[in-house]
Amino acid sequence: MVHLTGEEKSAVAALWGKVNVEEVGGEALGRLLVVYPWTQRFFESFGDLSTADAVMKNPNVKKHGKKVLASFGEGLKHLDDLKGTFAALSELHCDKLHVDPENFRLLGNVLVVVLARHFGKEFTPELQSAYQKVVAGVATALAHKYH
Amino acid sequence: MLSAQERAQVAQVWDLIAGHEAPFGAELLLRLFTVYPSTKTYFKHLGDRPDEVQLLSHGQRVLQAVGVAVRHMDNLRAALSPLADLHAHVLRVDPTNFPLLIQCFQVVLASHLQGEFTVEMQVVWDKFLTGLAVVLTEKYR
Repeated sequence: MVHLTGEEKSAVAALWGKVNVEEVGGEALGRLLVVYPWTQRFFESFGDLSTADAVMKNPNVKKHGKKVLASFGEGLKHLDDLKGTFAALSELHCDKLHVDPENFRLLGNVLVVVLARHFGKEFTPELQSAYQKVVAGVATALAHKYH
Repeated sequence: MLSAQERAQVAQVWDLIAGHEAPFGAELLLRLFTVYPSTKTYFKHLGDRPDEVQLLSHGQRVLQAVGVAVRHMDNLRAALSPLADLHAHVLRVDPTNFPLLIQCFQVVLASHLQGEFTVEMQVVWDKFLTGLAVVLTEKYR
């Protein structure tokens, strides 16, 4: 359950409307893999991740980043029921993918930094605050079905 | 801990901040207090809603300390020893708060540098600031 005011929800949606999901998704996932290289443990089949440049240009990273961010975008439409929205994905990440939920928090933080990079001054402290609440909520929802 | 190339990259980014410690620091603290309100508990002396003058003053102090760290990357423990003592015995900021400050630092860097904020800068500064936090909390017990 994410507690955003009506104003925060509008601001989040307004910014998201300007996001190029393919570009931002690929960049966020790429930056995650470079800034926190231990996260590469889940992507051994992705090919060349040996340098920062290789990671950022890797087509599998871009493709997967787009997929992840599209899913995140779906979540933005259901801020009042993130746990329900991400229930199936939560089970998948626990039972099949075996991903430590800490990785969701790391990716959420990287996404916020990428948004700041794209939007500059427009990404005000208030907007950052709203998005940090959203990414925290999504991370919690994705961890919810873990057992 | 940081290679020669990484140190050069840290210094390269610092060159973009140097001279602007006050406004950078003010924005850093404003983001910290806005996004993570519980951090304000360490700044009661600034009041519930610190004004621009206070943020600029304290922000400058924080960023100047980062500047000291940049100039002494090969000797962080010695250079930051007084600050480490301060944090251990007086301020006693819970260590979990440093990653929050680091996240806000990255956001300030990213929002100001935008196209120039490469992934190499992000990883190197994350590594550097995380190391800084370790030194500042090392004397806690």
